[in-house]
Amino acid sequence: MDSSCLIEITAATVRIGTPLLFAALGGLISERAGTFAVGIEGMMLAGAFGGAIAVLTTGSPSLGILIAAASGALVGAIVAIATARFRADQMVTGLAVNILALGLTSFLLRGLFGGRAPVIRLPTLGAWPIPYLSDIPVVGTILFRQPALVYIALLLTAAMTVFLAKMRTGLMLRAVGDGPEAAFAVGTDPVMVRIAAIVVGGALAGLGGAVLSLQEVGTFTDGMTNGRGFIALAAIIVGRWTPFGALFGCLLFGAVAALELRAYGWGLPVSSYVIQMLPYIVALALLAGIGRSARMPAAIGAAFTRH
Amino acid sequence: MTTAERNTGDSKSGSPAAMLDHTVRLLTASDGLRTFLLACAAIGLALAVTGLLILVAGKNPIAAYWALIKGVTGTTGRFAFALNKSTPYILAGVGVALCFRAKVINIGAEGQIAVGAIAATWIALNMLALPPVLQVTLALAAGATGGAAWSALAAIIRLKRGVHEVLCTLLLNFVGVLLVSEALHGRMGEAGAGFPQSPLLERSAWLPNLLPDTDLHIGIVFAILAVIGGYILLWRTTFGFRLRVMGASPKAANYAGIAAPRCMLGVMTLAGALAGFAGSIEVLGVHYRLIEGFSAGFGFNAVAVALIASINPIAVFPAGLFFGFLEAGALAMQREVGVPSSLVFVIQGLTMVFVLCAIGIGARAQRV
Repeated sequence: MDSSCLIEITAATVRIGTPLLFAALGGLISERAGTFAVGIEGMMLAGAFGGAIAVLTTGSPSLGILIAAASGALVGAIVAIATARFRADQMVTGLAVNILALGLTSFLLRGLFGGRAPVIRLPTLGAWPIPYLSDIPVVGTILFRQPALVYIALLLTAAMTVFLAKMRTGLMLRAVGDGPEAAFAVGTDPVMVRIAAIVVGGALAGLGGAVLSLQEVGTFTDGMTNGRGFIALAAIIVGRWTPFGALFGCLLFGAVAALELRAYGWGLPVSSYVIQMLPYIVALALLAGIGRSARMPAAIGAAFTRH
Repeated sequence: MTTAERNTGDSKSGSPAAMLDHTVRLLTASDGLRTFLLACAAIGLALAVTGLLILVAGKNPIAAYWALIKGVTGTTGRFAFALNKSTPYILAGVGVALCFRAKVINIGAEGQIAVGAIAATWIALNMLALPPVLQVTLALAAGATGGAAWSALAAIIRLKRGVHEVLCTLLLNFVGVLLVSEALHGRMGEAGAGFPQSPLLERSAWLPNLLPDTDLHIGIVFAILAVIGGYILLWRTTFGFRLRVMGASPKAANYAGIAAPRCMLGVMTLAGALAGFAGSIEVLGVHYRLIEGFSAGFGFNAVAVALIASINPIAVFPAGLFFGFLEAGALAMQREVGVPSSLVFVIQGLTMVFVLCAIGIGARAQRV
C-alpha cells in the first residue's frame, strides 16, 4: 500500500465519519442530559429526507441543510415530549420513532409526489478547499479539502466541549443528566432541559442525515441511514460521553468503513458480507472491551418525577 | 418467622421488605381491562393521525382503511395469508414480551430470526434421508437452537462485559442479517438463481398445511401454543414470578434472593428460541427456501407487539394479529387506493409512541 492510497483512505475516513460525528454529537447532548439517544437513527433519516426534498424543490443547498436540521429536531421533539413529559421508556421510544421516521419518509416520498417516488438526483455539495491550509502536504489533503459540513462538524466538536465543560448552561445540562433532583433543587427544570437537549440533538442528527443525502450521495432512498445512528451510539460510548471521544469513535468506525470500501479491490479471501459485518463487530468488541468502566451519565434512562 | 416476614408486618415504607410486599401486591392486582382500553385508545389515535396523512397525500382515508380491511377479510385465501403474516410476530413477540416484563430490553429478534432460519434451512437441505416428520421437527428444533444461541451470546456479553442489552442485541441484528446474505452467496445459495436464495426445499421438509386451497400452515397453532405457554410461564411458575419481580423492582428482586443474571440469561435464551423458531417457520411454511431479506422488520414488529401487550402475554395474540393484518391489508390498500404501503410503519411507530406515553402516564398515576 503506497502513501497516496493511505492518504486517500484517511480522507475517506474523515468523510465517512462526518455524518456519524453529527449524529454522535446530537446523541451526546441528549445523553448527557439523561436521555438515551436510540432515536438518532430516525432523526438522521428524517434529516436526510428533509434536506433532499428541500433541495429538490427549492434548489438551495443552504435551505436544504436548514430543513434537514428542522426535520431531525421534529423527530427529536416527539422523543422529547414522550420521554421527558410523559415518562415513556427511552429505549423503546427511540425504536418507535425509528420505525416512524422510516415509514413517514418513505410514505411522504411517494405521497407528496402523487403516489410514485420521484427520481432524485441532486448535485452533491462539493469540496471547499481552505486557502493556504489545503496546500499543506498530506494534512491539507486529508483535512482541508473537504466539503463545508466536515469543517462544521469538527468545529462543533470543539464548541460542544467548551459548552459542556465551561459554560453555565452546559453545567446545568450535565447536572440534569447526573442528578436531576439536585438540579431541580437549585431551580432548574429537568424536564425542560431534557426536552431542549433532545430537540437540539435531533437537529444535529438531522444535519448528519443531510451530510448523507446532500453531500455523500445526492439522493434519498428509503432507510438510507442503514444503522448509522446505532454506530454513532456506539461511538458515543467508545468516546465515553465526551465530544472529542465521540470524534475518535466516529473516525474509528469511519476508518473501518473506508477500509471496507477499499478491501474489495484487494482480493481478500473473505466475502463482501463478512467485511460489511466489520463495523458492527468492531463496535461490539470495543464496547465489550470497555465494559463496566464506561462512565455513563448517572441518571440516564430514569424519568424525572417531581416529589 | 423470618426477618423478611417480620419487616413486612410493620411495613415501614422504604425498607426493602416493604418494597417487596408493595411490589407483590402491585403484580397481583388485575389491570387487564385498563391495559386493553389503553392499547385500543393508542391504536385509534394512531389510525386517526395516519388518516390525516392519507388526506395530505390527497387520498380518502376511509376508502384506504376499507381497502385495508377488505384486503384481509375479502377471501379465505387472504385471511389465511394474513394469519401466516401474523405468526412470526406472535411467536417472537411472546419472547420479547417476557423479556420486557423483566425489564430486559431485548431487541434482537431480527437477528435471532435470521440465524434460526439459517439453521433450519441447513437441516432441511441436508437431512433428506430422515422421515418427513423428523425432518420438519429437527429443522424447527435447529432453528430454535440457533436463535437461542444468538440471543444467549448477547446476554452473555451483557452480563460479563456490562454492554447494555439494547446495543448488544442491536449490533448482533446487523451481523445476523448479514450472515443470511453470506450463507446465500456461499454454500447455501442456489446456483444460477438471479436472486440470493437457497434451493427450493424438498416437499418432505415443508410445514403441514392447515386449510386446503389456502397457504395457511400450522405455524399459527404453534403461535397460539406459545401465547398460552408464555402466560402460564409468567403467572404460574417460579421463573415467571422472578421475572415479574425483576421488572417491577430490581432492588426487591435482589432482596428476595433472585439471581437476576441467571434469570436474564434464561429469558433471553427463551426469547431467542422463540424468534429462531419463528424464522424457521417462515422458511419451512411460507417461502420453502431461505431468501435474502425475508425477515426485514420482523424483529421490530416483535418489539412493537410485545410493547402493546406489555402487561399480559395473552395480549400478544391480538397485537400480533393486528400487525400481521395491517401488513397483509396494506398491500391491498396500495394496489386499490394507491396509498403507499409504507404507511404501515407510520401506524406501527405512532401506535408504539402512544402506548409508551400511556404506560408512562399510568406508571406515574400508580406511584401517587
